[in-house]
Amino acid sequence: MREYNIVITGVGGQGVLTAANILGWAALRAGYKVRLGEVHGMSQRFGSVISYVRFGEDVYGSMVPEGKADVMLSFEPVEALRYVNYLKEGGMVVVNTKPIVPVQVSMGMAKYPSLDEIRKVFEEDFKAKWIGFNAEELAEKAGHVVTTNTVLIGALTQIPEFPLDAEHVREVIKISVPPKAVEMNMKAFDLGIKAAKEILGL
Amino acid sequence: MAKVSDIVLWDKPGERVLLLGNQAIARGALEANIAVYAAYPGTPSSELTDTMAVVSKKAGVYMEYSTNEKVAFETALAAAWSGLRAMTAMKHVGLNVAADTFMSAVGMGVEGGFVIMVADDPSMWSSQNEQDTRIYAKFANVPVLEPSDPHEAKEMTKYAFELSEKFKHFVILRTTTRTSHARGDVVLGELPEEIKQGKRKFGKFKKDPNRFVDVPANARKFHPIILEKIEKIREELNNCPFNWIEGSENAKVGIIAPGLSYAYVKEALAWLGVDDVKILKLGTPFPVPYGLLEKFFEGLEKVLIVEELEPVVEEQVKTWAYDKGLTIPIHGKDLVPRVYEMTTRRAVTAIAKFLGLETPINFEELDAKYEKVKPLLPPRPPSLCPACPHRNSFYAIKKATRARAIYPSDIGCYTLGLLPPLQTVDTTVAMGASIGIAHGLSIAQNGSLSEEQRNPEKQVIVATIGDSTFYHTGLPALANAIYNRSNVLIVVLDNLVTAMTGDQPNPSTGQTPHGMGKRIPIEDVAKAMGADFVAVVDPYDIKTTYETIKKALEVEGVSVVVSRQVCALYKVGQMRRRGEKWPIYQVNEEKCTGCRVCINAYGCPAIYWDEEKRQARVEPTMCWGCGGCAQVCPFGAFEPVEEGSQ
Repeated sequence: MREYNIVITGVGGQGVLTAANILGWAALRAGYKVRLGEVHGMSQRFGSVISYVRFGEDVYGSMVPEGKADVMLSFEPVEALRYVNYLKEGGMVVVNTKPIVPVQVSMGMAKYPSLDEIRKVFEEDFKAKWIGFNAEELAEKAGHVVTTNTVLIGALTQIPEFPLDAEHVREVIKISVPPKAVEMNMKAFDLGIKAAKEILGL
Repeated sequence: MAKVSDIVLWDKPGERVLLLGNQAIARGALEANIAVYAAYPGTPSSELTDTMAVVSKKAGVYMEYSTNEKVAFETALAAAWSGLRAMTAMKHVGLNVAADTFMSAVGMGVEGGFVIMVADDPSMWSSQNEQDTRIYAKFANVPVLEPSDPHEAKEMTKYAFELSEKFKHFVILRTTTRTSHARGDVVLGELPEEIKQGKRKFGKFKKDPNRFVDVPANARKFHPIILEKIEKIREELNNCPFNWIEGSENAKVGIIAPGLSYAYVKEALAWLGVDDVKILKLGTPFPVPYGLLEKFFEGLEKVLIVEELEPVVEEQVKTWAYDKGLTIPIHGKDLVPRVYEMTTRRAVTAIAKFLGLETPINFEELDAKYEKVKPLLPPRPPSLCPACPHRNSFYAIKKATRARAIYPSDIGCYTLGLLPPLQTVDTTVAMGASIGIAHGLSIAQNGSLSEEQRNPEKQVIVATIGDSTFYHTGLPALANAIYNRSNVLIVVLDNLVTAMTGDQPNPSTGQTPHGMGKRIPIEDVAKAMGADFVAVVDPYDIKTTYETIKKALEVEGVSVVVSRQVCALYKVGQMRRRGEKWPIYQVNEEKCTGCRVCINAYGCPAIYWDEEKRQARVEPTMCWGCGGCAQVCPFGAFEPVEEGSQ
């Protein structure tokens, strides 16, 4: 495989970097050349964030160019929409549908679009496939909202032709989280897999 | 996956690991047997320093968080003078702070290898300007090495020490955000015995006043020496392992790709499906080695230079070509933008135009499609964290000054006080500048208390500055304001760590990576300097903070209020690690009148507006339990949920 491109989007503090790192290690262990691109510092404080995960035999830069992402993993619906132009035609978005409303919206300075509006842009304008579900709810079911990113990664592994083996990804999560949180994260991972399978009709 | 601090110290040559560019550089420094490391944190350089902090003890390396880049530079420089391998790191604007020493000491050279890592931030992801360190390198006649990926960053670090030692000259290792903050596969090399054993290395300074005292008589000798060195280095770099020519030998067109641009060029050519091109991969954008240019230009009919920011390589190549009498077209900044960071898209677009090809994606069409999405997007700028003590300080300042003061501020998380609803940041220029600017504003508008003529209508000026910034460059400015009898209030937002760059310690923390340092309380400094009013407040107590600020504003002269409360992000991180809980606040629906004070004046990101019920709500997963909302709500509608849920 020449290259596989993932963009991960969300709000600073949601665990976007952690998710990228987990996928990066899984890809490294699968023998691929890996590049991860991320933003640190002030931009991380509850602002909009995007991380890039790229692997394959032929990857160089750490950023996925616009129009070239095979898949987007998004922790928040508006943050998915903000980076929709990164998806390639026919790409896929795995998205947590639970919104985080920016202060500017609460202050009445801006409007938060409806989930339907967002989904429509992906499906109609960008010809993307939408896999949306409330990952936070599933994370709570697994034991804690902090496992939201594990739920989403679980779902990601189920999309058609995803080049990393779900069990390999699971192994990396196991050794990345604190020992006492392993069980909870495994549960979250499975709930993510299940949610994606249902939506994809697998 | 193992902890990064362990990986960086692994004695496993040949092991393939995933490291951040900055971590790879730290590993490179260890493989090079570094002895002394000193730096002040600055994004995107910080993780190099943080990595050195966690590995230094085991590796026997002396490491310190210095109070600013200039003293960090001097610390490492003196170690290099003592024959040790030494390194300092900073962000691009940090080099401005260190520039005085940098420019003056370059002629003195070094004994042990001295590497200055400078991380540039094209596109300004977390910086106050966009500057190209390669110009500084050229200015000072110091060679600059620029890696194209994390593994090369590690290898180049080792080479940088060797180059520095060979020529007894400074060497700059320049990265950009996309190298420093890119993770990539890195192959570990050998660690020297001394690092493996954790043996601290000590140097010896050999006195040589003719070399180390830059009185004019000595300094006059330096400049020609520097110029001679840089030409010898230019010669040497023809054989630098990070410079090479690749691609089709008989190609008629060539592309020069310095540093990280090489990655984008490779990707762009693959995307375009073009292989009939010769590439000059340049790891040394200054000085450009002429021998390699000679070889590269052979048979070429046109050349494109794809470089990020300033035309540093382009100018050298064009000057060389002109002197050689070459007349083939040499393109650069006519096709490649000079502002903001390089991207594959930019490289593809420039190369396509250069070769007369179509881009693989119709970017204009994609942009047009995206233009239609933009109106749907609410902005989401970074914001002060929930429970951030600075929010309370700003809230109290705004209330006490009835939003009528001028608010000079500084570099740190608190710069976010710029945004609505707080809007208590009117100026931010550079580290420590808030106090200098406040003084200047006061002189311009009110006059100094030592002057006979003063403006009877006093303009209130309230400067804010963080603890780390206070020690970085706030100190001389404070001395100046007090000495020259300014009329300002300086609120030091003391959260006891350097929060924005990742919780590094500073004199207000007291702790160092080696254990206890000595804490310097800011109020003691202010008192010792002779401030006219000094007080310490806890910003989690909004009322007292407000009253103290009110009182300080009545004082003529320089008032210093230290607003002290530990960084919330840091505190919550520690509590999570210890498994502790904190109270979560919720809105009592019976008491909330929907007045919106909590949103429109306080602006905690955990509070949102429930459109249906026309009331405020707290997002429980974001509440960090400070209780500020309960203090600002006029109706007592915020109440803690006893148990806490984190």
